[in-house]
Amino acid sequence: MRKRAVVASVLSSLAVLVFGWQMGTQAIGVSTLATGTLTTTPVTTTPVTTTPVTTTPATSTPATAGVAGTFTGSAASTRYGTVQVSITVAGGSITDVTALKLTDADRKSVQISSRAAPVLRQSVLAAQSAKVSVVSGATYTSDGYLQSLQSALDQAGL
Amino acid sequence: MTQLTTPGITAATRTRARNGRRRANAGDLLVVLSWTSVAVAISLYLAYGGAADFTSLSGIVSGIGIIGGLIGTDLILVMLVLAARLPFIDRTVGQDRAIAVHRSLGKPALYFLLAHGVLLTLGYGISAGLDPVAETISLFSTVADMPLAYLGLGLLIMVVVTSLVAVRRRFAYEAWHLIHLLSYAAVLVAVPHQLSAGGVLADGSWQRAYWIVLFVVAFGAIAWFRFAVPAIRTARHGLRVTGIEPVAPGVSSIHLSGRDLDRLQVAGGQYAIWRFWSRGTWWHAHPISFSAMPTGTSARITVRELGRGTGRLGRIRAGTFVSIEGPYGVFTDAARTSPYLAVIAAGIGITPARTLLEQSTLRHGEATVLLRGTDNDQRYLWNEVFALAARDGSSVYTMLGHRPRGASTWLSQEAAGRGVTIESVFPRIAESDLFICGPQPWADLVIRDALAAGISRRQIHVEKFES
Repeated sequence: MRKRAVVASVLSSLAVLVFGWQMGTQAIGVSTLATGTLTTTPVTTTPVTTTPVTTTPATSTPATAGVAGTFTGSAASTRYGTVQVSITVAGGSITDVTALKLTDADRKSVQISSRAAPVLRQSVLAAQSAKVSVVSGATYTSDGYLQSLQSALDQAGL
Repeated sequence: MTQLTTPGITAATRTRARNGRRRANAGDLLVVLSWTSVAVAISLYLAYGGAADFTSLSGIVSGIGIIGGLIGTDLILVMLVLAARLPFIDRTVGQDRAIAVHRSLGKPALYFLLAHGVLLTLGYGISAGLDPVAETISLFSTVADMPLAYLGLGLLIMVVVTSLVAVRRRFAYEAWHLIHLLSYAAVLVAVPHQLSAGGVLADGSWQRAYWIVLFVVAFGAIAWFRFAVPAIRTARHGLRVTGIEPVAPGVSSIHLSGRDLDRLQVAGGQYAIWRFWSRGTWWHAHPISFSAMPTGTSARITVRELGRGTGRLGRIRAGTFVSIEGPYGVFTDAARTSPYLAVIAAGIGITPARTLLEQSTLRHGEATVLLRGTDNDQRYLWNEVFALAARDGSSVYTMLGHRPRGASTWLSQEAAGRGVTIESVFPRIAESDLFICGPQPWADLVIRDALAAGISRRQIHVEKFES
């Protein structure tokens, strides 16, 4: 009987672990596909609340030269807190990105996101789009940051 | 074997075999559930993208640290459930075995939690470029719930260390027990950091739901079965001491009165945990077996003075209020698997053997009893067992005298010299349930001989008494 209990325990534990692992990798895969803009780095499993990220809709005003002002992206919730950015646009180009909210679930997240935000801002200003690589070690922050940024770009019609 | 064809015996044997299988299945299920709960804890972490953390050195170290914390916490909650005296657990594996498992999990759980603290400090330190000491200071001072978490770990270390020392009997039981109650506090003060700093619990996920359910079940079981049920029973039955009857040097029967004691549904062979509310005794609860089946209004327990606590019990006055936890134990008819019954009891171990015989419905010749004592003073309650044996047509043997010096045997010197063996006392031992009740080292020797005589572990039922 004891042997049976041990065998059953091992089997059931393995089954549970494999299931969890599958769920984990699947979630990572799906989320990478959905976001599209990101490199191969795994991304959060938490659904992101921004509008589906696609390239700029063709229906928006084609003439972007005159766009100017501040556009606030929608808040993207991640496992480690909400991320929200706003962009300042002048003459159709992004002149600044301000992080309104960064992942702040714990001190660790604050640390990571405050390191990642300037890096992301720099690459966004350089690329003039949300198609930039995520900051390694700050996947969740990067993901949320770029999601929110994309929604701000959509509003600006960029 | 021809007797086995009697319909009455085969029916009873079949019922017992079925009960035995059911209990074994339930026991196995408990083992499987415990291990699977650990797997679920890890699995949920992985399912919510935990594997994504394992991409850098700091991530790997922190990830292993998180898993260590999850395993440690899960084990502690399993330990709480095992110690909660759930009726289901007591009926299937017995509270003593549940507590043995509880004990064996203590050290591993602590090691996992220590690893959790160390690895996360290292991992966070690596990613922030801080050495472990600076990272510890930073964690301690900047994260709101961390000081509490460190307090919890400190309390847990204290609980485990005092338990290890107490097991070696170098620590007063009462002090150990008080410190042990701190483990509830240790687990609870660690909860805030699991919810806030522990990102794995931070969102409305299945993971969070799982942990909350586990915490509620563990603490709910403790609150209900260890505190509420005993309090309700104590209030309902209003037990009081009616008299103390010395039955041998250092051995007393305590007579109790109360209301509706039959509703306690005591099974023969069970014990309860008693607390006598008089000055000098109220702070110590004693596990003591019933030495007679309770009637509707009266009960009797018999206790040998072992430590300072039980020493005071002989001086309790009539009228003392008594609280009860229990009855507990599987040293009962419900545990039987086989057509014959062999009972061997030493010293104060006679108490559960006596109630087992009193309550069992036995065929003529079904039971054989061996009463064991070191000297004439240990023959208390023997006459009552003789009377029960005469009632049921059971055989009773007695064996008085010290064990031979230097030999590892449970027999008296005289009996060993005559060539007595467990098989000569219990000729039908192979088709018997063997109930052993006495001091642990002595009982272990009986078990050794019984196994050598070819009976299976499932037929052996032990109630250990400290000597």
